Amino acid sequence: MKPGKGKVRYTERDFVYTFQAGSQSFVLTVPLQFPVQENLDHLHGRLMLLHDLPCFIEQDLKKSLCQFVDEETIKDFDREAEQALDLLKSSTIDVDHLVNAWKKSYTETTLEHAQPEEPNRDEDFADIYHDLIHSPASETLLNLEHNYFVSISELLGERDVEMKKLQERQGAEMDKVMQELGKSLSDQDVNSVASQHFESQQDLENKWITELKQLSTIQKQEYQEWVIKLHQDLKNPNNSFISEEIKVQPSRHQESVDENRPTYEEHRQLEESFTIHLGAQLKTMHNLRLLRADMLDFCKHKRNHRSGVKLHRLQTALSLYSTSLCGLVLLVDNRINSYSGIKRDFATVCQECTDFHFPQLQEQLDVVQQVVLYARAQRNHKAKHQYESANGNEVRGDKVKNTERNHSNLLPGEFYVTRHSNLSEIHVVFHLCVDDNMRSGNISARDPAIMGLRNILKVCCTHDITTINIPLLLVHEMSEEMTIPWCSKRAELVFKCVKGFMMEMVSWDGGVSRTVQFLVPQNISEEMFFQLSNMLPQIFRVSSTLTLTSKR
Amino acid sequence: MPPLKDAQLGAFTFFASALPHDVCGSNGLPLTPNSIKILGRFQILKTSVHPRLCQYVDIARGKHERLVVVAEHYEKSVQDLLRETKPVSSSKILHLAYEALQGLEYMNCHRMVHRALAPQNILLDGEGHVKLSKFGLYHITDHGADVDFPIGYPSYLAPEVIAKGILKPTDPTQYERPLPSGPKSDIWSLGVILFELCMGRKLFQRLDISEKLKLILTLGCVDDIVTVLAEEHGCVDVIKGLPETTLALLRKCLTFHPSKRPTAGDLLHDSVFSEISSLYVPFRQPASLFSSTLRCADLILPEDISLLCNDVDSDFLEERSIEEVYYLWCLAGGDLEKELMSKGIILSKPPVCTLPNFLLEDGESFGQGRDRSFLLDDTTVTLSLCQLRNRLKDVPGEAFYPLLGEDQSSVPHSGSNSELSTSALPLIIRERDTEYQLNRIVLFDRLIKAYPYKKNLIWKEARVDIPPLLRGLTWAALLGVEGAIQEKYDATDKDTPIPTDRQIEVDIPRCHQYDELLSSPEGHAKFRRVLKAWVVSHPNLVYWQGLDSLCAPFLYLNFNNEALAYACMSAFIPKYLYNFFLKDNSHVIQEYLTVFSQMIAFHDPELSNHLNEIGFIPDLYAIPWFLTMFTHVFPLHKIFHLWDTLLLGNASFPFCIGVAILQQLRVRLLANGFNECILLFSDLPEIDIERCVRESINLFCWTPKSATYRQHAQTLKQATGGDNGRSNTTFTSDYEELSKTDLSREPIKLSELKSEASPRISAEDLIDLCELSMSSHPKAQSKKSKCNKPKLLVVDIRNSEDFNRGHIPGSINLPFGSTFTTEGELAQCPTSAMLQNFKGKVVVVVGHAAKNAAEFAANLVKLGYPRVCILDGGINKMKLTGLLTVPSPQI
Repeated sequence: MKPGKGKVRYTERDFVYTFQAGSQSFVLTVPLQFPVQENLDHLHGRLMLLHDLPCFIEQDLKKSLCQFVDEETIKDFDREAEQALDLLKSSTIDVDHLVNAWKKSYTETTLEHAQPEEPNRDEDFADIYHDLIHSPASETLLNLEHNYFVSISELLGERDVEMKKLQERQGAEMDKVMQELGKSLSDQDVNSVASQHFESQQDLENKWITELKQLSTIQKQEYQEWVIKLHQDLKNPNNSFISEEIKVQPSRHQESVDENRPTYEEHRQLEESFTIHLGAQLKTMHNLRLLRADMLDFCKHKRNHRSGVKLHRLQTALSLYSTSLCGLVLLVDNRINSYSGIKRDFATVCQECTDFHFPQLQEQLDVVQQVVLYARAQRNHKAKHQYESANGNEVRGDKVKNTERNHSNLLPGEFYVTRHSNLSEIHVVFHLCVDDNMRSGNISARDPAIMGLRNILKVCCTHDITTINIPLLLVHEMSEEMTIPWCSKRAELVFKCVKGFMMEMVSWDGGVSRTVQFLVPQNISEEMFFQLSNMLPQIFRVSSTLTLTSKR
Repeated sequence: MPPLKDAQLGAFTFFASALPHDVCGSNGLPLTPNSIKILGRFQILKTSVHPRLCQYVDIARGKHERLVVVAEHYEKSVQDLLRETKPVSSSKILHLAYEALQGLEYMNCHRMVHRALAPQNILLDGEGHVKLSKFGLYHITDHGADVDFPIGYPSYLAPEVIAKGILKPTDPTQYERPLPSGPKSDIWSLGVILFELCMGRKLFQRLDISEKLKLILTLGCVDDIVTVLAEEHGCVDVIKGLPETTLALLRKCLTFHPSKRPTAGDLLHDSVFSEISSLYVPFRQPASLFSSTLRCADLILPEDISLLCNDVDSDFLEERSIEEVYYLWCLAGGDLEKELMSKGIILSKPPVCTLPNFLLEDGESFGQGRDRSFLLDDTTVTLSLCQLRNRLKDVPGEAFYPLLGEDQSSVPHSGSNSELSTSALPLIIRERDTEYQLNRIVLFDRLIKAYPYKKNLIWKEARVDIPPLLRGLTWAALLGVEGAIQEKYDATDKDTPIPTDRQIEVDIPRCHQYDELLSSPEGHAKFRRVLKAWVVSHPNLVYWQGLDSLCAPFLYLNFNNEALAYACMSAFIPKYLYNFFLKDNSHVIQEYLTVFSQMIAFHDPELSNHLNEIGFIPDLYAIPWFLTMFTHVFPLHKIFHLWDTLLLGNASFPFCIGVAILQQLRVRLLANGFNECILLFSDLPEIDIERCVRESINLFCWTPKSATYRQHAQTLKQATGGDNGRSNTTFTSDYEELSKTDLSREPIKLSELKSEASPRISAEDLIDLCELSMSSHPKAQSKKSKCNKPKLLVVDIRNSEDFNRGHIPGSINLPFGSTFTTEGELAQCPTSAMLQNFKGKVVVVVGHAAKNAAEFAANLVKLGYPRVCILDGGINKMKLTGLLTVPSPQI
């Protein structure tokens, strides 16, 4: 029986067939199950064989068998149909309820009866942008984006300078105060100065945040309006192309920024690529890459190579509304904000450039927070339902546990998704919640984080994310307990699980070729990196190199 | 399938419902996606051929559970008649009703219910005849369970359908499934449509869905539904003015209680149609190719033959079947999704806009708005054939009607140069070339229609290539399937439980499941039946794991014809896998593998030496290859290309395929040790199948026929009088099938066979290969093989006195005792230099007894001499022939 579809109610009825052979008359009784599922020709053949029936009745038996089954089936249909009508007549079923169920079903699933769609600005913009970026106007578009980027950078630069100045001034002041400590000033005075400093720092910071927000809101609005106008212009060939060529503004801060960069150059970026085949008979090809890099490197705009930036930007912009997106897995703690750790770093990167398409990170996080609360409420509701229907105690324990913790927080293995158009190579970021358990050496394939990874890959399938970056060791920073055996054990687990999930993905999406990039933290040793890159081909089947020379 | 005529190809699309996340089936495997279930159920619709039904052609799965159905289509429908907003004449209504009922009756006979009958689904062909469309939707969606949308249109739903409500299980465990809608619900829908036609406009226009449905339900309380409906719509006069027959028909159709409502069959024989029923001839399904009835029984040639060819300038493409036209349309660059997208039927939002916000650990997602593009829009889009016609405009008419001459005469190809140049291109390209495929399809279609009379020609053409569209039938023809296969299959008991069931049940969900057809529940059921039929009908053989894989290609190609799949499999196994499925098959397999390792040594001594050295024997890897004829190791599309050639070869051809596969992996095998080789073969890397086929043919040509002699192979069935055409090349005939003479090979013990590194060949073969004249053996002359005769060197290892007393002409003498040094190298002498010069050619070692010759040959193999073999029975066999010569004394 097919699962999840309920059982069919069977009734057994006897098919009686009489025939004459010479002077003798025979009766054949066959119990049949209705509704008849099997092929009547096969049934007929089986009857002939089983009962050793003479061939002269073959045709007749077939005819009467078919007739019997047809008649009985029609009777069944009629009976059931009448039953349904009777139920309605006797008001066992509420007519309004029934009719509304039909109506709901029609309006929710068919275009003909659905509510007319309200125009959606975002989607229209998406279409327009997608058209433009695939047209010669893309150059102009990117230049404009770049200019906006430059002015944001300038603002950020100013902010940094001012903050630095403030800090210096405060430092000097504090030094002075400290010297006076115990002489003319008490601890209390120092504290008040410190809190004063902190406040003015906060004020300054807030001022800049507001300014930044204002600027990006203005930029976004300007940009969107401009894009729509450009699109209209292009649609009307009569109108002269009024948008003047937009030139790239040179960034004044370029050099200074470049000087700050080389910190990353200490650790050379290491990478190795593999082409693999998955599947026993039908093989699908995928690309894997092992990289030693910082997760956020894929998000940051690299300012030093100007042409390279543009190419990256173009690539990312071209595919933004396409069906080949790039995703990134970021490991976060259980709170949805951007105050600490990698979350804070990520938020900083997001600010570097205005997102012209999607809401700003903080707004997205606010929405996520709402959705999480809603999801929890739904779950509780469902659990309560189950509890009531099951009336057992086993659900209670779970419920109590549920109520104890903060509803707005995440559980390990859960993740939220943010969308970005302003990162250098990434469109979608999966914020996967992990706990301190990740640092321990013995997590299993059933660990919530691994299951979360599986769900991420599933979303990749359903939403055409063809490139995904995964932190191989499921940590962003190395620490002391992460020894070489720890690393290889963890890497093996993740490799194997991802392989399993990728095989599963083939059945979900029919084997779209994907790129999976495994990232290891910057501060891992080269030796360790090569150990991991040796491990990969042992776990995945690396495709054989194509030999172009003839066989012998 | 019927010819295209004035029909067009139409496509419509819908979504199957998504499965709940992460639910497993009762067997622990993931659930089959609904779209695959639908795809499996759809297949049977292709066989529903009736002049009143639109022919279904294909179903395609898109991304995210999207399905696109392709079917015969007409632009005009009853909807257009209604648009004219005037009543339709009642005689026309009667005709329309009668024709629609014919279609419905045919469906009922096949236990199908339309459920979505509506004016827009009753199409009208060029002559105004009814063609029902979308009739399979209710069937393929498992009565609406596999899709989210309700099937049917609110105005036309029968009251009992509405009363039953929407069948959506809320709690699958406690839910008992009611019966689906019965065939009588279609009669109601038809009644409503006929009423609309009488009235000239649509019913319930101004009501919303719930009001419509409520109104239909309340009709149960009224006496005369027709009058009430007429009053409701203010057209009592029109209805009153209708002729008696039409009114009676309406009343009969619009009977509220299903038990009193007639079925389609009842209505067709009703008196209301007494006048027009005589105008229609009952439709008879044309006999299929493999049926016991006479295929030409209904063929009537007109008195004047020239009448047949009067329409010279008609469109030839229209005479081809819909299936072929669609196939060619696809080849000519047709893309269903693009076509639908351009008409605005497929709307897709960029995926980045539809991402969910939040996912729980168990995979439930939140924050995803309902996507409007997933709503049902069942408009049918006409697929334009312009591109195809354009592509084919230069194809001359003769190409559509090739003349099939005598066997020997070459089959006329259309003279165009483009086609000739195509035939030299690689197979992959030929299979995608529209004109080329058109030519091939037309040719094969004709040939297959003439099967078995044109069997020889089919063989001949199959050697060029087999058009994918007709592969199933062509294979059946190559395997010589004939007779009443359907009756035979029906008579086999496929339902009674047998002990093998459990194993079959375990194997099926693991067999070629990447394929949509074979992974559908329908596919599984068919698998089960065909396998059981085979097991039951071969009592001396048993089910071995691997039989499922062997069944897969046949089932895939003949998905709608289980009997043919079964018949092909039953013909294939004795030919290529004789006795492999015995309960104790070890002697057969052992012999097979030993011959295989001899073949490796024969063709690639270096590889053979390496593999023997590391102990990587064929038993470790080759059993699944041969037991399943490579179906276990390759995906279906590669199996097809491989088997296209395999079926043309004889039972020893698989050896050559095996060697060809090893040779493709040669470099890696030579570089690796035992463990790596085991790993390599546990998950076989990609094999270039075209190269593999090419090389195996080459290897086959180099192999003397008797070298692959197996005593456990199928022995000759004497009755081969009819297939004289088959033996015209050595390629197709089995060595074992040839009659035995005293010069043939004699069976030897397995242990003896195993001890020999090189294969033995028969004296007969030797004579044949050396082209020694032998009047007593006429067969030797009759068989001139097309492939290059291998050049050959006979090495006589007897001592020189014996050699001088008489030897095979052209042979050289290398006495066994003195040829090899103690290190195993060849000792220097003029004759050994000659042997070295011949390296690469076939070397036949001839001695007194087998033992010395085997050792000698083994030494040669060790030295890397390819194509070394031994003369079976030694020189004594040759003595009998009188072909030995005595060298003239040297002067």
